[in-house]
Amino acid sequence: MKLLLLALAAGTLALPAFLDTEQLSIYILAGLAAMVTVGLSLLMGHAGQISLGQASFYAIGAYTAGILTVHGVPPILGLLAAPVLAAGFAAIVGVGVLRLRGHYLAFATLAMQLILLSVLAQSDWAGGAIGLQGIPRMSVGGFELDEDSHYAYLTWAGLAIVLVVAHNLVKSRPGRGLRALATSEVAAAASGVPVGRYRLAVFALSAAFAGLAGGIYAFYLGYLGPGSFPVLLSVEYVVMAVVGGLGTLAGGVVGAVAITLLVQALNDLGTQPGMPSYAPSVLSYAVYGLLLVIVVLFLPRGIVPALTRKERT
Amino acid sequence: MLSDLAGYLVTGLGTGCGYALIGSGLVAVYRVTRVVNFAQGAFAVVGAMCASSFLSVLPHGIGELAAVAVAAVVGLLVGLLATTTTPQSALIVTLGLAVFAYAVEVLVWGDQPRSFAGLPGAVSIVDTRVQAHYLLIIGVTLPVFAAMAMFFTRTDTGKALTACASNPYAARVIGIDVRRMGLLAFTIGGALGGLAGVLVTPVQQVTFDSDVTLIVNGFAAAILGGLTRPAVTLVGGLLLGVTQALVAGYGNAAHQTEIALGLMIAVMIWRAIRRPETQEAPA
Repeated sequence: MKLLLLALAAGTLALPAFLDTEQLSIYILAGLAAMVTVGLSLLMGHAGQISLGQASFYAIGAYTAGILTVHGVPPILGLLAAPVLAAGFAAIVGVGVLRLRGHYLAFATLAMQLILLSVLAQSDWAGGAIGLQGIPRMSVGGFELDEDSHYAYLTWAGLAIVLVVAHNLVKSRPGRGLRALATSEVAAAASGVPVGRYRLAVFALSAAFAGLAGGIYAFYLGYLGPGSFPVLLSVEYVVMAVVGGLGTLAGGVVGAVAITLLVQALNDLGTQPGMPSYAPSVLSYAVYGLLLVIVVLFLPRGIVPALTRKERT
Repeated sequence: MLSDLAGYLVTGLGTGCGYALIGSGLVAVYRVTRVVNFAQGAFAVVGAMCASSFLSVLPHGIGELAAVAVAAVVGLLVGLLATTTTPQSALIVTLGLAVFAYAVEVLVWGDQPRSFAGLPGAVSIVDTRVQAHYLLIIGVTLPVFAAMAMFFTRTDTGKALTACASNPYAARVIGIDVRRMGLLAFTIGGALGGLAGVLVTPVQQVTFDSDVTLIVNGFAAAILGGLTRPAVTLVGGLLLGVTQALVAGYGNAAHQTEIALGLMIAVMIWRAIRRPETQEAPA
C-alpha cells in the first residue's frame, strides 16, 4: 500500500512535464477540485454534515489571495492568508450555522453562498460584478511562477499538504471522535467527545482546504469574478464527494479526478463540429444529475469503498 | 414616499404568494414523506417554460392549466425515484434530479430567459399604478390555500395524507398505503410548484436556473412553520415578499437577497436553539 502511494505520488509529480497547456489546465483544475472535495468528504463522511456552500470558501480563498496581491502584498503571503481567512470565516459562521442539521444545514450553507455572491457582486473593493483583474503571478523570493507547469507543481504540493493533514486528522483521537459523532451524536457526546467543538473544527478545516485551493486558482487564472463561483460549483463538489465515496480520503481524490476528466471528455464531445452551442452544458448537467441519483440509489457508499470491499471478499 | 407604500405592499404580496406556493409544495411533500424536495423549484421552472410554449397554441387559462398538469406529472416522476430511499438520501437524489432538469430545460427551451403575457393593464391603488397581474396572483393563491385547507381536513384522501404526516406507522396499521400517499404528495407538490411558476412568470422572467432562488425563498417561507404547516407557510411567504419589496423600494434593491436569506438563517438558528428536539438525525 505504501509503495503504491509512493508510486502514485511520483507518477503524478512527473506527469506535468509531459502535458500540453490544455492538459495542464485539466491537471490543475482536477487537483484543486480534489483539495476541496477531500475537505467536503471529511465534513460529510466524518462529521455527518452536508454543505451546499463549499464553493463559497473556495471563493473566499481566491478573493483573499487576489485582493491582497493586487494591493501589493507579496503573493506568498496572499496564498498563506487564503486558507486562514476561509477557515476564520467558516469558524465565525459555523458558530451559528452548525447548530443546524441535515437539510437545514444544507439550505443555510446554500443561503450563505448566495449572500456571499451577492455581496461580492456589489462591492467595489472586490471588483464588483466585473470581477477582480490583473492579479500578479505567484512568486517566491524573486522566482516567478510564470509557466502553467509551475502551477501544476504548486497544485500537487497543495493537494499533498491537504492529504497529509487530513490523513493525520483521521488517524488521530479527534478523528475517531468525529467518526463516532457521524454515527450517533448522542452516543459520541456521552463518551466524552466534545461534539460542538469537533464539528466546528472540521468545518473550518474543510474551509481551509477549499481556501488554499481557491488561492492557487486566483494566481493561476489571474482573474476572478462572482460568476466563477456559482452554486452549481458547490453541487459539483457534492457530486465528486458522493461519487468517490464519503469519508475516505482516496474517495475525494478519485471522485474529483474522475468527474473532472468525464466532464472534460463530454465538453470535447459537445464542442465537436455540428453539435449545437448548448450541447456542452446540457451534457454536463445531465451527467451531474444522473451520477448523483444513480450513485445514491445504487452505490450509496461511493466508488472507492465499493471497490475496496469487493477486493476483500 | 408613503403613497408608494400601497404599491410596494401589493407587489410584495404578489411575489410572496409565489414563495408561499413553492413553500407549501415543500410542506406537502415533507409532511407525508419527510423528504425535503430540492426539485421543488424545478417544478416551477418546468411549469413556467411549458406555459410559455403552450400559450402559443392554446388560449389563456387552458395553456396555464396544462402547464400545471405537466408539472404535477414531473412531481410524480420525481416522487417515484425519491421515495425509494431514506429521507436523508432523498435530499441528494432530488438535488440530482434538479440538476438533471437543467439539461432537459436547456435542451427544450434554450438558456435564455422566457416569459409570457399575463393579465394586461394596471390598476391604481392610492395614487400608485400596479400591474393588474399582481392582483391575479393574489386572487388565485388565496383560494388555492383555502381549497388545500378544505382538502386536508374534509376529504378522506386529505385526512389519509394528514394521518401519514402525523404517524406513518399508525397510518399503515389502519390500512393506508403510505407509499401511494407519498406519491400523491409529490404530485400535489409538483402542481403547486408549477402553479407558482405559471403565476409569477409574467411579472418575473424565468431562466432554467431560476429554481435556486425560488426554492431558497420557498424554503424560507416554509421554515417558519417548521416545514409542516401550510397556513404558516402562506404567512411566511407573504412576509418575505413584502419585506423584500419594502427593502427594494425604500432601501437598495440589490440588498433584498441578503436580507431575506439572513432572516431565513436567523429563524432556523432561533428554532434550533429553542427546540433542539425538532432536529432530525444527521444526513
